[in-house]
Amino acid sequence: MSGRLERMRSYLLPIALLAITWLLISLLTPSFRGEASVFSVLQGFPLVGLVALGLAVTLIAGEFDLSVGSMAALAAVIAVTASPAGLIGCILVATAAGAVIGAVQGTLIARLRINSLVFTIGTLILIRGVTHMLTGSAPIMIDNIEITDPLLLRFGVFSWSSVVALAVFVVMGLFLAYTRWGREIYAIGGARNEAIAAGVPRVRPLAVSFAVSAGCASLAGALAATRGGSAAPQNYEDLLLTGAAAALLGGISLYGGRGTVLNVALGVAILSVVGAGLAARGTSASLVQLVTGALLLTVIGLEFGLARLARPAATGARARRAAGVGV
Amino acid sequence: MSDRAPAGTADLSPSSRLRGDRRGRPEWLGTAALAAVAAAVILVAVAATPNFLTVDNVRAILRNAAVVGIVAVGMTPITLSGNFVSLAISQSAMAAMVTFVALIGLGWPQPVAILAVATLLTAIGALQGLVVAAGLNPVITTLAAGAIIFGVVSQLTGGGIVRMGENRAEWGGSDIAGMPIEVLVFLAFTVAVTLLMARTVIGRETTLVGANRATAEISGISHARVTIVTFVIFSIGVAIAGILSGAAFGQATAVSFRDLTVDAIAAVLVGGSAIQGGRGSPLRSAGGAVLISIISNMMVLNNFSTGGRLAVQGGVVVAVVALLEALRRRGGARS
Repeated sequence: MSGRLERMRSYLLPIALLAITWLLISLLTPSFRGEASVFSVLQGFPLVGLVALGLAVTLIAGEFDLSVGSMAALAAVIAVTASPAGLIGCILVATAAGAVIGAVQGTLIARLRINSLVFTIGTLILIRGVTHMLTGSAPIMIDNIEITDPLLLRFGVFSWSSVVALAVFVVMGLFLAYTRWGREIYAIGGARNEAIAAGVPRVRPLAVSFAVSAGCASLAGALAATRGGSAAPQNYEDLLLTGAAAALLGGISLYGGRGTVLNVALGVAILSVVGAGLAARGTSASLVQLVTGALLLTVIGLEFGLARLARPAATGARARRAAGVGV
Repeated sequence: MSDRAPAGTADLSPSSRLRGDRRGRPEWLGTAALAAVAAAVILVAVAATPNFLTVDNVRAILRNAAVVGIVAVGMTPITLSGNFVSLAISQSAMAAMVTFVALIGLGWPQPVAILAVATLLTAIGALQGLVVAAGLNPVITTLAAGAIIFGVVSQLTGGGIVRMGENRAEWGGSDIAGMPIEVLVFLAFTVAVTLLMARTVIGRETTLVGANRATAEISGISHARVTIVTFVIFSIGVAIAGILSGAAFGQATAVSFRDLTVDAIAAVLVGGSAIQGGRGSPLRSAGGAVLISIISNMMVLNNFSTGGRLAVQGGVVVAVVALLEALRRRGGARS
C-alpha cells in the first residue's frame, strides 16, 4: 500500500468523528455555534493540544511519556516563580527547563535501554514531589498579575495562547516531516532494530522526542498558569488521559512510526468539541472524563476491528513474525 | 494496526518480542539486589530514627503497606503475563469502596455486600481483560476504563460523600491477635497469589505467556484465557483493598484512593518484576510495598514534607528500575 494512500486513510476516521461530534454537539447545545464554538475549540490547543502533541511525538518514536502531567505542573510552578522576568521570559524559562529535563530523561531511557513506561512512572512521582517541595504543597500566585493581561485578549477566534499553540503545531509538523532529526524519530519508532542497523543513532531520536514531549507539556503548563495567574502542585493529573486520548483519537499509532501533527490536531479538535459542548451544557468534569474514556475505547476498538477486517490473516502473520518463523 | 508492529520495536506492544538476552541471568539476582537495598534502607532508618523499631511503628508501617501491597500483589500477575500494568487502579479501588459503603448503608448484610462488590469488580476486570485479550493495548484500555469508572461513580454519587450510616462494619480497622486486620489479609493474599503463580498450571502459563508469548501460543496456551484470569485476580485484590478501606473508614467518595495507581505500580516496580513480563513474583511486589512504606515512614519520623517523600519515592523507583535493568543485561551478557 502506498504511504500517501494510507496516510489519507488515517485522516478519514478522525475527520468523520470530528464532523459527527461537531454536528451532534451543535444540535444539542444551541450556544455552541459560530465564532464562539471555533474559539472554544481553539482554546483546547494550548493545554490539551500541546500535551497531546508531545505525547504523539513519543508515541511516534515507539515510546510513551507518562510524566507529562507532572511536567506541566512543575513548569506551571516554575513560570509563576519566574514571573518577575516578564510574561514571555517566564514562559520561556519554564519551557526550556522542561525541555532540558525531557532531554535528560530521553537520553537515560535510550542509554539504559529501559522501557519508557517504567522510567516515566518513576519520574512522574519524582517530578510531582519536586513540585510539591518547590511550593511547600500550597498554591502559589503571580505577584505582578498585570503582566498576564495580554493572555486574556481575544482577536476573533484566536487568543495569544491558541496562536502560540498553533505555531508550535506548525513548527513541529515541519520539524517531523522535513528535518533529519524528525525523520529519525519515525525511523526509530517504526522499525528500531532496522533503523539502528541502517545507521540511525539510538540515543538522539529518543532524547529529542522526550525533550519535545516535556517541552510541550511545560509550555502548556506555563501558558495555563500565567493565564490563570497561579499554579498548584497537584494540578494536571488528568492531562495524561486527555492528551493521550487526543493523540490516539486523531489516529497516531500506538505501535510507533506512524501519524502526523495533523492527526494530533484532529484529535484535539474532537476532544475540544466534546469538552466545550458538555461544558456549555453545564455538565461536570467527571462526565467529560467518562465521555473521553468511552470515546477513546470506542475509537481504538474500531480502528483495531477495521484493521482486523481488512487483513483477516493478521493474527497468524503476527504470531509467525513474533516467533521468527517465515516472513 | 498491531499486525504491522515489527518485533523488537514499539515497547508498547505487549510481549510480542523475544528476549533471548535474559537467559543467563540467575533467578535470585534481582531478589538479592532488592534484599540488599531493603537491608541498607532499614539500617539507615534504624540509625537515623530513634523511634523506628518500636512495636507501634512497625505496625504502622505494615498497616500503611497493606492496602497498596494487596493491590500490587494482585496486579503482579498482569505484569507477569506481559500486559504491563493497569492504569485504572485508583478508580477500580474507589468503585469497590464506594459500592461497599453504599451497600452497607442500604442495610445489606455484610457477606452479601462483600460478595456483590467482588462480583462487580470481577465483572469490570474481566471486561477489561476481554478487551485486552482481543488485542487492544492494555495501558490505553485501562486508562480509558479508569476514566469511565470514575465518571460513572461520580455521576452516581453526585460528587458527594457516601456513608454507611447506622450500619457499621465493626471489624473494619480492628486488630486480630495484635495485628491490624488489613495486615493479616495482606499476608494471606500475598501467600495465596504467590502460590497460585508458582505452583499452579495457570500461574506457570501466565509466566510463560509473559516471557515468550509466541512460544506459549505455539505450545497451546491461550493468551486470552491468561489475560482474563490475570485481570480477574487483579480485580479481586482491588475489591479486597476497597472493602477493607470502606470498612475501616465507614465512608467513601469518588476521589478516594487518588494516589493508589502510582503507589501500587511503584511497589511492583521496586519489587523488581520485569515490566515486559515473564519475570517477577507477587511476593516481591509485597516486598516493594513494604520497602516504600518503610522509606516513607522513616521520612515522616524525620519531618520530611509530602514533596520530599514523593520525590524520594520517585527516585527510588527510577534507581531500582535502572539498577535491575543493568543487572539483567550484565547477567545476560555473561552467558
